[in-house]
Amino acid sequence: MNTPKGEETLERTLRIANHQGLHARVATMVVQALQQYAASVTVVKDGVEVDGRSVLGLLLLAATHGAEILVKAQGPDREEAVEHLSRLIEYDDNEAARSKGNSRNI
Amino acid sequence: MNMTTTKQHDQKATPETSNFNEGQSNLLLKGIAVSGGVGIGQAVVIERITTEICPRRIIRVEEVPLEVARFEAAVHAAAARLKTIKQGIDDHHPLGEHSYILDTHIMLLTDKMFFDGTKRLIGTELLNAEWALTEIMMKITSAFDTIEDEYLRERARDVHFVGERVLKILMGIHHESKIHHLPPNAIIVAHDLSPADTVQLTREKVVGFAIDMGGKTSHTAIMARSLKLPAVTGLDKVTRLVQTGDTIVVDGSTGAVIINPDPETVFRYRERREVYRKYHQSLMTYGRLPAVTSDGSYTARITANIELVDEIEIAADHGAEGIGLFRTEYLFLGRQEAPSEEEQYEAYRHVLSRYSPNPVTIRTLDVGGDKIAYSLNVAHETNPALGLRAIRLCLSRKELFKTQLRAILRAAVHGNCRLLLPMISCLSEIHAAKAVIEEVKKELASEGKEYQDHLQIGILVEVPSAVAIADMLAKEVDFFSVGTNDLIQYALAIDRVNEQVNYLYDTLHPAILRLIRQITNAGQAIGIPVSMCGEMAGDPVSIPILVGLGMNELSMNALSIPIVKKIIRSISVDECVELTRQAFDMHEAREIHDLIENWMTRRFPKDYFL
Repeated sequence: MNTPKGEETLERTLRIANHQGLHARVATMVVQALQQYAASVTVVKDGVEVDGRSVLGLLLLAATHGAEILVKAQGPDREEAVEHLSRLIEYDDNEAARSKGNSRNI
Repeated sequence: MNMTTTKQHDQKATPETSNFNEGQSNLLLKGIAVSGGVGIGQAVVIERITTEICPRRIIRVEEVPLEVARFEAAVHAAAARLKTIKQGIDDHHPLGEHSYILDTHIMLLTDKMFFDGTKRLIGTELLNAEWALTEIMMKITSAFDTIEDEYLRERARDVHFVGERVLKILMGIHHESKIHHLPPNAIIVAHDLSPADTVQLTREKVVGFAIDMGGKTSHTAIMARSLKLPAVTGLDKVTRLVQTGDTIVVDGSTGAVIINPDPETVFRYRERREVYRKYHQSLMTYGRLPAVTSDGSYTARITANIELVDEIEIAADHGAEGIGLFRTEYLFLGRQEAPSEEEQYEAYRHVLSRYSPNPVTIRTLDVGGDKIAYSLNVAHETNPALGLRAIRLCLSRKELFKTQLRAILRAAVHGNCRLLLPMISCLSEIHAAKAVIEEVKKELASEGKEYQDHLQIGILVEVPSAVAIADMLAKEVDFFSVGTNDLIQYALAIDRVNEQVNYLYDTLHPAILRLIRQITNAGQAIGIPVSMCGEMAGDPVSIPILVGLGMNELSMNALSIPIVKKIIRSISVDECVELTRQAFDMHEAREIHDLIENWMTRRFPKDYFL
């Protein structure tokens, strides 16, 4: 990858919060989120690097609950992109769905 | 036992019975029951594209652009179709919450690996579009095969669904017309059913599913439950044995599927269906009520056994008043390293806060060393059931145990937590476990971490020696939980999975009832609560005796909760005590079964469990 002048790679390690791991719903949200940004984003786990815009790539990382992944981003809006991803990944969407008025009597 | 009556013989040929054709009459298949109820109807077989029927052709170089264009057009058509389907799902659709999967599928269509990969293969290998796509699908799905996590591995099915949709467009197969023109009382028979197909089904016309593929995390299983339609999966070859138009019965409560049933079978299942339908409607209302006896003098707490964190909602829906057994093994199995403290903490906290203020009983790791790769240097055992497992393993692999205890103690501040120690066989094991708990508390305190200081500690009474010294053990713990599955195996010396001897396995064996009475007596004498979390706790036949013995809490498979509550609400303590007295006078399990079953049939003539 060629790095344009003055542009660094932003790297951040994220932990998977969701109990089903980096599963279909989260992977889909990641790809959808990245559509808003120009930055190129890759995700690394256990030495395997995949495009952050590939649902298949993300699923095949087999990142289960609690696993750590490394996000690398390049481009003018890399900070915003990584920030957005950390909100999606380090956050348990199942729990969010439940607290959104989905609770039933126990 | 089925309640078969022969009151009325309906001779009319109906769509349900008219189809007695070629040979395959009354063929019974057994699969996995994933969604309850009985469906009787006409099979509609949804074909899949197998690699054998995919056309294969080596193309000429000059054909490449055309073949690529064909592929691109098919992908765009597939994406457009999925978008339309997705837009047709409104907020009130019963599958609305699953519709995100269609977004995933739309994305898969244009995913680099899938889209660019196929186009590249057309150009480099000179394959026609169908062949190139099939190759790519195989490549991607084999990459999924190596994933250990079951849920993520199953996502290979999504690649299949998407690929098949494109393949069908390329081959000019209009499979959706079948889905759009269902006959009434349709039973959907498929290798696997894609979410896109499932959401398009007209619910009023579908009465059941019979599916080749299995897995409790399959989309079909999840969706059938959301639709409240009977479904059986894991049938392996049902698509090959059934033809569209065949009559078929699906019993989603037992996993039975009957192809071209004879009139008598149809008759029996029609009754069963009616009974089930009415029964189910009325039953669910009991879930929300407390399990208090008709005389009002006794209330049992009814809780659920769970294995996966995801099961907490289904348990709540069925009326669980807490979790009586949270098996933590799933966190530990099928992986290279033990789960971290944080990962465990999150899982426990999640369940505890969901059920707070109701109790959640967390059982510490209950497996043998042979089951987990990272439990170092476990010697080969000729008899693992009697080997280094459960509390024994935890006490010998102290770091593993401490990590779990730290996670539980920390999570316990978020709810009403009870700690359950499995396989206790003597006093010293309780002392040893408590010492580790105290050690862990000190560590947490010195690190300034928040934790629950007054954790209730109980034991799983499942080893006969623990029953024999129940009076001593009761003084050491806050509660007892009777684990009947193992207790019966150990007490009767029967391996349940050994088909040569499992006929001897019986929850109502006089010896088992006496062991249980000894446990409840010991608990009552000291004044600690006694619960039961084995399968017996959810078995309707054992309920009067468990009430008669004064069991405080029953923890079971969530689906059993409504019926158990119904039974308890309909009986009085006096009649249970009397029935229990009679049962204890009998010498054979068979007599006890007869006694209780006759009584239950009299008291609950309309309930299908008998």
